[in-house]
Amino acid sequence: MSYCVNCGVELNPGAIACPLCSTPVVNPNCHPDAAEPGFFPSRKEEVAPVSRREAALLLSSMLLSVAICCGLLNLVFYSHIWWSFFIGGAMAMLWVWFVPPLLIKGMFIWVRLTLDVLAVGAYVCLIAVALDGMDWFLALALPINVAAVVIIPVLYWIIRTRRCSLLVSAVLVLMAIGLFSMLTEYICDRYLIGEWTPGWALVVLASCVGLSIPLIIVRRVPSLREEARRRFHM
Amino acid sequence: MEKPRRPWYRMDNASFMYSSIQREEFSAIYRFSAVLTERVDPVLLQAAVDRTLPRFPGFAMKICRGFFWYYFEPNTAPGPYVKEDTADPCRPVRFNEDSGWLVRFYYYRSRISLEVFHALADGAGSLTFFKALLAEYLRQRGAAIPPGEGVIDLDEPPRPEEREDAYLRYAGKAARAIPRVPKAYQNRGTPEPFYTFHVTMGFLSVQELRGKARSYGASITEYLAAVLMLQLIEKQKRERPIREKPVTLAVPVNLRPFFPTETLRNFIITVQPSVDPTLGDYSFEQLISLIHSYMHLTAEPVKLRAAMTRGVRLLLNPFLVLIPRVLKNPIMLLSYHLTGVEPYSAVLTNPGRFVVPECMRPYIEHMEVVQGQATVARPHVSTISYGDTFEITFSGVQKETELEREFFRFLVRDGLHVRIESNR
Ligand SMILES: [Zn+2]
Repeated sequence: MSYCVNCGVELNPGAIACPLCSTPVVNPNCHPDAAEPGFFPSRKEEVAPVSRREAALLLSSMLLSVAICCGLLNLVFYSHIWWSFFIGGAMAMLWVWFVPPLLIKGMFIWVRLTLDVLAVGAYVCLIAVALDGMDWFLALALPINVAAVVIIPVLYWIIRTRRCSLLVSAVLVLMAIGLFSMLTEYICDRYLIGEWTPGWALVVLASCVGLSIPLIIVRRVPSLREEARRRFHM
Repeated sequence: MEKPRRPWYRMDNASFMYSSIQREEFSAIYRFSAVLTERVDPVLLQAAVDRTLPRFPGFAMKICRGFFWYYFEPNTAPGPYVKEDTADPCRPVRFNEDSGWLVRFYYYRSRISLEVFHALADGAGSLTFFKALLAEYLRQRGAAIPPGEGVIDLDEPPRPEEREDAYLRYAGKAARAIPRVPKAYQNRGTPEPFYTFHVTMGFLSVQELRGKARSYGASITEYLAAVLMLQLIEKQKRERPIREKPVTLAVPVNLRPFFPTETLRNFIITVQPSVDPTLGDYSFEQLISLIHSYMHLTAEPVKLRAAMTRGVRLLLNPFLVLIPRVLKNPIMLLSYHLTGVEPYSAVLTNPGRFVVPECMRPYIEHMEVVQGQATVARPHVSTISYGDTFEITFSGVQKETELEREFFRFLVRDGLHVRIESNR
């Protein structure tokens, strides 16, 4: 019979450490007998993770049937344009958004985000092909999409892996917005006028920086940080 | 020839709620265990299960998915089979596995365990079933246990009163929720990976504990609720939050003493003693008297009936009735999260004293109870007493042991002898 020196509770004679505080049991008169079977069973049961194949299959068939129905309808209504193409593309995009996460357990979230943004790009590409607008797609939509592919997963990855506080996350998001608007304007200007004339994006960037500076100062100065927390109940 | 119609049963509001919120990482499963004075014979236990279950059709059910609702159907699959116990109890239920059985039977050395999905029955109903099962097991191994004194006769046919939806019968005119407090301190820990479940039990003497509670002018449950509340308040304080949240306990109340019924299904309602630490510090004595008064003010038939009526009304809501089940599930999950998870810091359940006839007493050493996984990583507290053994369980998926450590240390400092067992 042993007691935990920290908690004062009686422990199982076979215990090597207190289950409450992990303090090792040292009792020269009573050695924990390893052969003594535990109070609780120690046999672990393997539990197979549930398969989400059915759900994925159901969702896939639903999306497919919507696409097929619209395709058939297309033959009757407004059959001079291939409007069902857009529906089909949208369904494919939804499929990429929702089905792979069901099939692959523990899919990395930034892989998922990248895939999601790429799916949007592919959909826009489809529209471009249908409207004979490869020109604006290559020059405008594709670069913006690539920028989004880079910025959104990286931002998410930084916030998640570095376990950023609320303040730091806010600053990072603001910075990303500023950066993204700069890139967008750059791409737009290159396409529309042929040269880069910084305009509205500078305003956005300046606002983002302006918003970030007080946050950074508050973050840097401990007393301010405490004060802000107390005042704003963050 | 007319095809024999398969019987089916409506769910009561509690059952439907538990069924819709069932998920891969959470289901409302709880376990009762009886530790006998000698080793359990699995063959005899299986025989006892096979003989007892037909008398309790309410436990031999499976859950079927209707278009609008879940419903019960009698389970005709072979089983349920007695299994050797595992390290992690109260594994979440999957409706399509294990032949759809919603009860499980385990043995380990001298322990017999019964696990029940909460949609079938509440603690009081399951204990009635468990008592009949234990009596039959003891009969199988040669003891003479006559029926009566709470042990149900297995030879009589099942009675319809035991399958009654008592909520529906006692629902009154007025429907009011028991006033809820805003979002409470959540007491969340770091979750363990799928599927690890920690159980820590403390054993005390009922006499000592009762004497201690009496010295504060309270019942055992009130005393333990106050200890738990104090530990939660202090734990929150140690975490130095920017703004302290109220500390609220969910305490299920058995409605049978207020509204007589023989039902073995769910018939409980939750009351929520709460304190707001931002108002100032409460002493332990103040907490006890607060909880004591709260229980007397809240656990009274008129308020309980109004709260119960509200639960029944919710499922009769014409808008909810017409929504397909697949869409109901997220609604129920959200409503459970808002009304059953966020307003609480911990659940404290006390199924009460397990009383058996004199002739069964020599065979049973003590009783245990475990509540299954909460929707978030925080411990549930449950207690049961048998003879002079009072058992308190902290169960959950969180890595931390802080709450149970401080809880039991408080009891030790208050002069009670505590023995700890854990599967950690
Ligand atoms: Zn200890």
